[in-house]
Amino acid sequence: MTVDVLSSIKGAQPSEAVSKLFDVIKNAHPTNNNAFNANNNAMSLNDLREDIVIESSPLEKQIIKENFPSEKNGFLVVSKVIEE
Amino acid sequence: MDSQIHKIHQQLVNKEITCTQLVNDKLGLLKQNTHNTVNSLLDTLALDLAKKVDQKIANGETIGLLEGIPFGIKDVYMVQGTITTASSNLLKNYKSAYTATAIQKLLDAGAIPLVKENCDSFGHGSSSENTIFGAVKNAINPELVAGGSSGGSAVNVAKDYTVFSIGGDTGGSVRQPAGYNTIYGLKPTYGRISRYGLMAYASSTDCVGPIAKSIEDIRIVLNTISGKDVKDQTTYASAEIEQSSILNIEHIKTIGYFKNFVESDAIAPEIKAAFLNTIEKIKAKGIAVKALDFFESNTLVSTYYTLAMAETASNLSRLDGINYGERVEAENLKETYSVTRSENLSEETKRRIVGGNQVLSQGFSDEIYLKGLALRDEISKNFENDFNEVDIILSPVTPNTPPKIGDSLKDPHAMYLSDAYTVGFSLGQLPTLTVPQGTATGLQISAAKNNDELVLKFANFLKDTL
Repeated sequence: MTVDVLSSIKGAQPSEAVSKLFDVIKNAHPTNNNAFNANNNAMSLNDLREDIVIESSPLEKQIIKENFPSEKNGFLVVSKVIEE
Repeated sequence: MDSQIHKIHQQLVNKEITCTQLVNDKLGLLKQNTHNTVNSLLDTLALDLAKKVDQKIANGETIGLLEGIPFGIKDVYMVQGTITTASSNLLKNYKSAYTATAIQKLLDAGAIPLVKENCDSFGHGSSSENTIFGAVKNAINPELVAGGSSGGSAVNVAKDYTVFSIGGDTGGSVRQPAGYNTIYGLKPTYGRISRYGLMAYASSTDCVGPIAKSIEDIRIVLNTISGKDVKDQTTYASAEIEQSSILNIEHIKTIGYFKNFVESDAIAPEIKAAFLNTIEKIKAKGIAVKALDFFESNTLVSTYYTLAMAETASNLSRLDGINYGERVEAENLKETYSVTRSENLSEETKRRIVGGNQVLSQGFSDEIYLKGLALRDEISKNFENDFNEVDIILSPVTPNTPPKIGDSLKDPHAMYLSDAYTVGFSLGQLPTLTVPQGTATGLQISAAKNNDELVLKFANFLKDTL
């Protein structure tokens, strides 16, 4: 798949500036190739937030609707669904 | 400089100034300013809040230390009902539906938000030129860049348009503009402050960071916005840093610096000389100094950008103009995504998204992304070992002085390399503070994870020593 499709950006191309960064990584020799993120940000199962639905406030709902790029009778209008 | 927060608090309590007058004065300065620091002013909200503070004082009620203190917000934080653009065309009319935790804590403490501040779009940049609001101009020399990505925030603080500002630091975006504008800027330990309501760039290094003119003001704001938050499960509970606990450095016996940072060909001779001179002054105070080995700048920058691009490609995939944003209609849904993103994202943002999708794609992920993660592990391990030997690591903030406006956009690779001294500490998730001393673009003070207090302590020592 080409990068423009992968990125959902029409006409996108890989850049030389970024390729130079990747070349450095390709040529690097880490001593441990079994990466297992030392910056351990995993959560303890004993410390998870409550699994409950929190209703948005009326103001929050109103602003979300104001942000609709296209709206009809209070509903979000989207383009025709992909036909493939 | 002494604490602006304490000074203004006293002036308010003694009725030497009114909060309304203070807020009006700052709004006036922001409106007139020619440094392109403002994306939008929060004038109605600010003046309403100021009136309430004045009423409280008039009624003889006690006010908190931050009550009535005007501050700025990088335009990547949600504040309910305000336009939050991330300095991008895609979100130029986007209204926040909720408020970021860090900002809510400041509002709860009574601080007054004045302005949403200009920055590089989605934090993508080191110069605050990648913005639809015009390049932010340096506070000291307006022909130079302000640094980035929190350039507007740094300039507002440096010019006294805000008392403090809340920036965001992913790879140096608070520390580098703080250095370029000679003020203080802190990237706290990752997880100390909730990221909830901060538009995600690279989630594993994104940090909320206060920018101010004194160590004391950094301490006050840090204490106010730190803490565990169920809405960001990477946060942890931290103890308040007392004012008295950062005044003496009895526990700091040894500091280190990275040899290759100062031996690099890329460092400007005046920054190198000033840094080494600082090291001598510290030694003269009886503190041992160790020269440490570290990764080459190229490796640090490439590791950081590889991982940050992968994360931003994922985080920004939601920006498709369907539920919000500037949608460009096309013949079908897929084309609508593609054209909306192509026309509304900046060249730098597109470059990073494309790079991120490249490294995450089949065939590249093992060769680049997983190797990048392995390198990050090694960098973190290196820090762990270093902090067994030294209490503090001191480094320059940047290899060079700020470039002229326009130069960074011509050479993105050179801009990436200019982050060589800041990105390593981001990958290590370490607390790191820029202080406006020691070199033309300041110094960075870093300590082991969760040791933000030690960083502030050493900053006080440098303030008295240099």
